[in-house]
Amino acid sequence: MKIAVMVKVLPDDQDIVATDDGQLDFSRAKNTISTYDLNAIEAAAQLAEAEGAELVAVVAGPKRVDDSKTRKNILSRGVDSLCILADDSLDLADSRQTGRMLAKIVEKVGDVDLVVCGDGSADLYAQQVDVQLAEALGWVNTNAVVSLKADGAAVSVERVLEDEKEVVKMPLPAVVAVSPDIALPRIAGMKDILAAGKKPVVTYSLEDAGGLEDATVETLEIKAPQPTARKKMLFDGSSDEGIDEFVKALKEAM
Amino acid sequence: MDFKLTDEQELMLENLREFCDRWVDEERIQKWYDERRVDPETCKAYLEAGFGYMFIPEEYGGIPSDAQTLALVVEELMRCTGATMPFMSYGLAMYDLATFGTPEQVEKGMKSYQETGQQCFSLALSEPGAGSDNRSMTATIHWDDENGTAVLNGTKTMVSHAETAPYIMFIGKDEDPSHDNKSMSMLLVEKDTPGITMAPLHKIGQTSTNFDEVYFDNVVVPQSTLLGEKGKGFLQLMENFEIERIMLSAHSLGLAQAALEEATRYAAQRETFGKKLYQHQLIAEKLTDMEIKCQNMRNMLYKTAWEFDNGIPVRLDSALCKRYLSTTATEVASEAMQIFGGIGYTTESKIGRIWIDARGDSFAGGTEEIMVHIAGRQIVKKYASDLL
Amino acid sequence: MKAIVITESEAAARELCGGARSLVDEVVYLTFCESVAGIADKCVRVSVPEGIAKEAAVDTMWEVVKAEDPQIVLFEPTRRLKIVVGRMAARDGASVITDVMAFCDGSTQSMYFGGVGLRTCKSLTAISFCSVSAGAFGEVSPSGTDVVEEAAFAAPAQTVELVSREKLPPADVDLTAAKRIVAAGRGFGKEEDLSLAREFCKAVGGELGCTRPLTESETWFPREAYIGVSGLMLTPDMYVGIGISGQMQHMVGVDRARVSFAINKDEHAPIFQKVDYGLVGDIVDVMPKINAKLA
Repeated sequence: MKIAVMVKVLPDDQDIVATDDGQLDFSRAKNTISTYDLNAIEAAAQLAEAEGAELVAVVAGPKRVDDSKTRKNILSRGVDSLCILADDSLDLADSRQTGRMLAKIVEKVGDVDLVVCGDGSADLYAQQVDVQLAEALGWVNTNAVVSLKADGAAVSVERVLEDEKEVVKMPLPAVVAVSPDIALPRIAGMKDILAAGKKPVVTYSLEDAGGLEDATVETLEIKAPQPTARKKMLFDGSSDEGIDEFVKALKEAM
Repeated sequence: MDFKLTDEQELMLENLREFCDRWVDEERIQKWYDERRVDPETCKAYLEAGFGYMFIPEEYGGIPSDAQTLALVVEELMRCTGATMPFMSYGLAMYDLATFGTPEQVEKGMKSYQETGQQCFSLALSEPGAGSDNRSMTATIHWDDENGTAVLNGTKTMVSHAETAPYIMFIGKDEDPSHDNKSMSMLLVEKDTPGITMAPLHKIGQTSTNFDEVYFDNVVVPQSTLLGEKGKGFLQLMENFEIERIMLSAHSLGLAQAALEEATRYAAQRETFGKKLYQHQLIAEKLTDMEIKCQNMRNMLYKTAWEFDNGIPVRLDSALCKRYLSTTATEVASEAMQIFGGIGYTTESKIGRIWIDARGDSFAGGTEEIMVHIAGRQIVKKYASDLL
Repeated sequence: MKAIVITESEAAARELCGGARSLVDEVVYLTFCESVAGIADKCVRVSVPEGIAKEAAVDTMWEVVKAEDPQIVLFEPTRRLKIVVGRMAARDGASVITDVMAFCDGSTQSMYFGGVGLRTCKSLTAISFCSVSAGAFGEVSPSGTDVVEEAAFAAPAQTVELVSREKLPPADVDLTAAKRIVAAGRGFGKEEDLSLAREFCKAVGGELGCTRPLTESETWFPREAYIGVSGLMLTPDMYVGIGISGQMQHMVGVDRARVSFAINKDEHAPIFQKVDYGLVGDIVDVMPKINAKLA
C-alpha cells in the first residue's frame, strides 16, 4: 500500500502583523506546516505504520515553501519521502489550480492507493482541495474522517458530520480529508529529526507537472479586518465594588 | 564562529515548546512543587518524545547529542515553563551510569528509566560534615570478601530524587573513615535494601525534585554493585561534574531568560504616573542590564558547551560558567521581581518562584565559592604554570 | 439572474433562499433532504437510495444545475455539500469560494488565516459557487411557491458504500440561534467548575459554548459548541467569555456581538482588549459571587 499525504506550508499566523494602513505584513512569519495538516500527517503515518505502507508527503506552493528546515519538519513525522513543487505562480492559487497540480504529482509518484488531506488549510480553510484533487484523479473521496482503517482493497472510515455519524467503505484508490480529532500530531524527538535529513526529497518543476491551469477565482484584496470598537472597561474582581460594577453592566446588557 | 542554530536544533526546540504546551501549565507546576515530584505521566511523555534519550550513548538506546544541543534543550525547558523541570538530570544520571557501570548495571538503570521516565538513581555523596570537601566524608564501605558482600554505613544528605529513584549511587570510603584515607568506591544499590532509611529535607525552592537525608545502617549489598573501579570512586565521578556544571548553567540561564521576558511584558503593559513602566528610565536601565546579562550568560554557556564538544578541556571554563551563570541569573531574577513591584513578591506572579529557584543554583553542583576554589588554581595553571 | 440554493438544514434553506432573493430575480432550491415549502420559485429534490453515501447525489444535482443554467450557486457549508458542490465546481472548471461572510458588488468577503485578514475575491467563471456562513445576509425572509420537482436519481460511476449511519445525540446547544452567548475556555481547570458557567448561563438566559481546547483536548463539550474559525461564527446580542485568553481563532467567532464581556484571572489577557467590560478574577472566586448577585 502506498499513501500520499498533502501538506500545505504557510507563514506562521502567530507572526503575521497588521500594519497601520490595514495591510498584512508576513515578513516576520516563518514557514510552518498548516495546523490541521499535522493531524493529517499523523493519521497517515499511523495508518502507514499499521499497514507497513509507504508514506509520501506532497507539498506544492510558492518558492518560499521549500526550505531545508520545513523539509526536515515534515520528514520527522513518520513520513518516508517528500515531493515538492515550489513555484511562485502557485502563490494564492485557487483550489482548482492546487487540486489539479497535486493530482499531477500524485500521478507522478505513481501507485498511490490513498491520498490523505487535512481538514482545511490555516489560511483559506476552504476544504476544497481534497475534492478538486479527487475529481481530477477520478477517485472517490470523503471528508470529516475521524478514523481510518485499511480493509483489503478498500478503506473503512468513520466520519462525523454536523448531526450524524457514518461508517463508509471506500474502494481504493481514494481521497480522504481527515478531521483534526483523528490523531494528535506527534512530538518529533531528536532521533526522528536527525533521521529526517537523510530521507529522500524529490523536487518537481511546474513543467514536470504540465503547467498551471488558469485561475478560476481572483483575489482582489487581502487586508486586516477592522475590529469592532470596544469600551475595554476593566473591573477588579477582588473587590465587591468591582464585581458590582461588572454585574451592573451585565444587567444593562440583558 | 557561528551562532546560527541548525535546522535540527530549531526543530527540536519547536517540538520541545509543543511538549511544554501539552504537558506543562501553571497549575501542574504548582502541584509538582507541592508534591516534590513531577508526575510520572509527564516524565514518561518527556522521555518518549525523545528528549530524555539525548546524551545517553547510542548502544544503550540513547540518541547521540552534543552538549550544545542539550544545553539548548535545558535552557528552553526552563524558559518556557519558568520553573525547574528536572528532566535534564534524569538523562545525565544515565550518562553517568553509562560511563562507570557494567553493561548489566547500565541495562538495569536503562530499564528502570524507560519504565518510569524518571531518574533511575539518586546520588548519595554529600554528608552533614562533608560537601565539596569530600575527603572529610565518613561513610564507609566494608568489603566482606568472605561473603562477597559490601557493608555500608553512614549518613548522606541533600540527596536529590532519593524518594523517587529506585537506586542510590552510594559513595563511601573503603574500610576506614579517617581523613587521610583517599580510597573511595561507588556502588549502585537498591533503595529498598534493608538498613536504608530516609527523611525529607525541605528546600525553599526547586521543590519539583525531592531532597532527602539518607541513612545507611549496616546495609549489606553484593560486591557486584560496585560501580567502576574500586578505590577510585570520587575521581571517576568528578569527570562528569563538568558537563553537570554546564547543564546547571543552562538551567540558570533558562530561568533568567524567563524572568527577563516576564518582566519585559509587564513593563510594556503596566502604567505608572501616566507612562508605561518601560518608559521610565530606571526601568529601561534595568531591562537593558538584564538583557546584557542574559546575552553574556548565553555566550559564555554556548562557548563552554562548544569547547566540551570539541574536546577542549573545560575544567576552568565550566567552573567559571557555573559561577557566573548561577549568580547572574539570580541578579536578573531579582531585578525582574523589582520591576513587578510588590506583586512580584506574592505568589500571584511566577517571578518569585523563578527567583527562589535561580538562587538554588548557587549551591547545586558545587557552591559559587567552590567554583572559585577550582578556578583559582586553573587560572594560575593557565597563565603562570611555570611558577607552580 | 438566477441562483441555485443547495442546503441540508431548514434554517440554512430559509436564510440562503432569502439572501439569494436579494441578489437575483429567480431562486431555485435544490436538496437531497426533506424540502422546505414556500421559500423559492421552485424546489428540486433528489432522493438518494439507501446504502450509499449521500454525496452520490452529485451527478443528478449537477444535471439539474446545468439545465437551470444559473449565474450563482449558493450552498450551506456542510461537510457533504462541500463535496457535492465542490465536485460540481470541479466539473465546471471552477472553484468554490467558501464560507462567504458578505457579498458586495459581485465580489465576496471571507476570512483569511482565521480572521487575521479579510479576503475579497471574485469568481472568474460563468457560474460562481459559494458556500455561505450563517448570518451573511443578515435578517432576510424567503418567499416563493410550493412547487416541488423530483429529479430522478442517476447513480454515479463510483459510489461510496454506506455501512452504517446514526444520528448524533441531539445537540443540547444551538448557539446559532442564541441571542446571548457564554463561552468557556481553558481557564476552567476541572470539568466540575463548568457548573459555575452553567449556572451563570441560566441566570443570563444564554447558551453555553466553548473554545477549541475544550472540545478537542478535553471532551467536555460537543463539537457544536465550539466557537471560532473552524466552528461557529455568531452574531449574538451579548457575549461573555469566561476563562478565555482571547486568541484570534476564537474571537473572530464572536467579533460581531453587540456587547461583550470577559472574565479572566490574568489582567493582561488579550481578551480584555476585545470586549466592552472585563472582570479580573479567578473563576472559582468570582463566579459564585456574580451568580449570587444575578440570582
